Amino acid sequence: MDLWQLLLTLALAGSSDAFSGSEDSSKEPKFTKCRSPERETFSCHWTDAVYHGSKNLGPIQLFYTRRNTQEWTQEWKECPDYVSAGENSCYFNSSFTSIWIPYCIKLTSNGGTVDEKCFSVDEIVQPDPPIALNWTLLNVSLTGIHADIQVRWEAPPNADIQKGWMVLEYELQYKEVNETKWKMMDPILSTSVPVYSLKVDKEYEVRVRSKQRNSGNYGEFSEVLYVTLPQMSQFTCEEDFYFPWLLIIIFGIFGLTVMLFVFLFSKQQRIKMLILPPVPVPKIKGIDPDLFKEGKLEEVNTILAIHDSYKPEFHSDDSWVEFIELDIDEPDEKTEGSDTDRLLSSDHEKSHSNLGVKDGDSGRTSCCEPDILETDFNANDIHEGTSEVAQPQRLKGEADLLCLDQKNQNNSPYHDACPATQQPSVIQAEKNKPQPLPTEGAESTHQAAHIQLSNPSSLANNDFYAQVSDITPAGSVVLSPGQKNKAGMSQCDMHPEMVSLCQENFLMDNAYFCEADAKKCIPVAPHVKVESHIQPSFNQEDIYITTESLTTAAGRPGTAEHVPGSEMPVPDYTSIHIVQSPQGLILNATALPLPDKEFLSSCGYVSTDQLNKIMP
Amino acid sequence: MNIKGSPWKGSLLLLLVSNLLLSHYIHNLSSEMFSEFDKRYTHGRGFITKAINSCHTSSLATPEDKEQAQQINQKDFLSLIVSILRSWNEPLYHLVTEVRGMQEAPEAILSKAVEIEEQTKRLLEGMELIVSQVHPETKENEIYPVWSGLSSLQMADEESRLSAYYNLLHCLRRDSHKIDNYLKLLKCRIIHNNNC
Repeated sequence: MDLWQLLLTLALAGSSDAFSGSEDSSKEPKFTKCRSPERETFSCHWTDAVYHGSKNLGPIQLFYTRRNTQEWTQEWKECPDYVSAGENSCYFNSSFTSIWIPYCIKLTSNGGTVDEKCFSVDEIVQPDPPIALNWTLLNVSLTGIHADIQVRWEAPPNADIQKGWMVLEYELQYKEVNETKWKMMDPILSTSVPVYSLKVDKEYEVRVRSKQRNSGNYGEFSEVLYVTLPQMSQFTCEEDFYFPWLLIIIFGIFGLTVMLFVFLFSKQQRIKMLILPPVPVPKIKGIDPDLFKEGKLEEVNTILAIHDSYKPEFHSDDSWVEFIELDIDEPDEKTEGSDTDRLLSSDHEKSHSNLGVKDGDSGRTSCCEPDILETDFNANDIHEGTSEVAQPQRLKGEADLLCLDQKNQNNSPYHDACPATQQPSVIQAEKNKPQPLPTEGAESTHQAAHIQLSNPSSLANNDFYAQVSDITPAGSVVLSPGQKNKAGMSQCDMHPEMVSLCQENFLMDNAYFCEADAKKCIPVAPHVKVESHIQPSFNQEDIYITTESLTTAAGRPGTAEHVPGSEMPVPDYTSIHIVQSPQGLILNATALPLPDKEFLSSCGYVSTDQLNKIMP
Repeated sequence: MNIKGSPWKGSLLLLLVSNLLLSHYIHNLSSEMFSEFDKRYTHGRGFITKAINSCHTSSLATPEDKEQAQQINQKDFLSLIVSILRSWNEPLYHLVTEVRGMQEAPEAILSKAVEIEEQTKRLLEGMELIVSQVHPETKENEIYPVWSGLSSLQMADEESRLSAYYNLLHCLRRDSHKIDNYLKLLKCRIIHNNNC
């Protein structure tokens, strides 16, 4: 029987389902929401049971329990009030409400639990909406377009703020009447807030909702407050004026780009220079930097000679370096160290030579200046200790005080420079060239000469013309062919090691030595002694020895004094170069035929006797 | 504000307000710490229903609703607050130690626990100061509930251990809220005369 009843019930239920159409089968009641508006009472709601066509299976009941002290009582009590909160609800008044105690409620139908839920009251607090919204005008903007208002309201009356039982925070929302999206403000704890920048000609809606601070959810919104701002001035913009920032930016960038391109590709150098000024490079007035590039030192030298502020070290560096380079056929010989040393040495000399060079007298054709000599001596002192055996010879021989225009003397013998105060530097320079090649004798001499002073004098000696070396006391001009080395007395004095150097003096191709040096070389070269004799008569006049003569004399140390008559390859003329004599130069290219040869044969210098013969 | 004959000098009122701010700060930290723990370890795993263990402070007769809070007298109220704070000294200390000793200690949770421990000590000092001033006759050695949940924090079983942490953090959030609420009630009662 029971089985049949059951089957019938099921059939009926199934048929009723079929008739009900889209509706589902029985819905069980479920809790929809539990809420406490003021943290003193709460109520729970559930969905009604839906049964299709059949009678209720039983009344729905709600049971609750709460944890007292340490344990769950597990004593389910029934809902105290099914009415006050409406249908399908259960209302718990303040006597049933405890705040920090968890509750569990369950819904039963016909004894069977259909739903269960656990919570504490703070979690379900949802305050009532604020009341008494109003607004006041704060100010209107100068343009009359915008205005600020202050909105005020009151807390929901059932929330006990006064005793501090509840602490509420509020959220205000507003929008224009015809808009759909609400603008939200940040939560605030006070009950009034300013709203800025409302448009005067528009109508606004304002609403507020509240929530317990730190727990629970927002309650319902308050009633909407309508805000209509009075129009203050007659002229209000009909349309909103939006500053066309975007347009301005776009056009600005476009314009700047156009200008930039115009300037960059413009052929107007002037404009280009204005926008992109060239980086200043060191420049000397009147001199084209290109000259320096190609090594046209001669021209530069000429120009620079005009300037008082000319500093020869520049040239000396260049010419010095150039000469060094020229002289070195084998790259092996060229080392940095030597260059550096030379530079260093030349620095000293430059500084010294500058002192001498800066002489207001521009009429000198000779590089040999007494001043320079003296300064050179100082320079020599510095470099004394660094000279090597071989080099001093050379330097000595090459201790011409070369004028700066030696630049064109890459291939030509050096001209006279002031005597070998430069020697030390030359020594330095040639430090790394222990074995100067004979063929390069002239060049190395050039180098030595190079290293030495940079005189602004533009006189350049070459084989084709003579440099006026000096003027004899008699008033004759002395020309010096080829490389001349003038050794001042004092200079010679400054080279004590020249004594030892003298041994190789004649071995060197380009060795020059002066009387004084020869003097020092007494123990080595007999001719030196002779020189010493000669010297006094010359009154500190220096004697030059040509390269050729030296070369020849190298093999004949003792011939210096004799002025042998051996033929020597000499340039077109012979002359005596007397230094340190401001009296002029002796030019006796043809006036000394015999003595010339004699001179030449004897290492290229003339003895006192010979000179006396020659000179009036 | 001040009732004649009341021991509440201005400085004590300021101290009360300051303590209230501190308690609010502690409650915020506790809420955040609980949320982070729940999100990271126990969310959706039904721990709330499993949390049958109540808090160790439940034995204290604390007001559980507004009426009870209105009825309790000021002295008892203050003593109660002090007891709750005292009872949390040890659990907070162990919480910090245990979290710090965790593998991959969650920095967010650890930093908050450290901060809560420190601020709770300060709050306790502040409240003890008020009590000593307002109710100097109060006995020093008030009994306070002892926490014995250390062993459960160190359980080997992860489920049990997580449940213990969940419970502890849940109780901390609750008690910090209680203290904050109580101090608010006291402030409105004492300073504003129930008219906050």
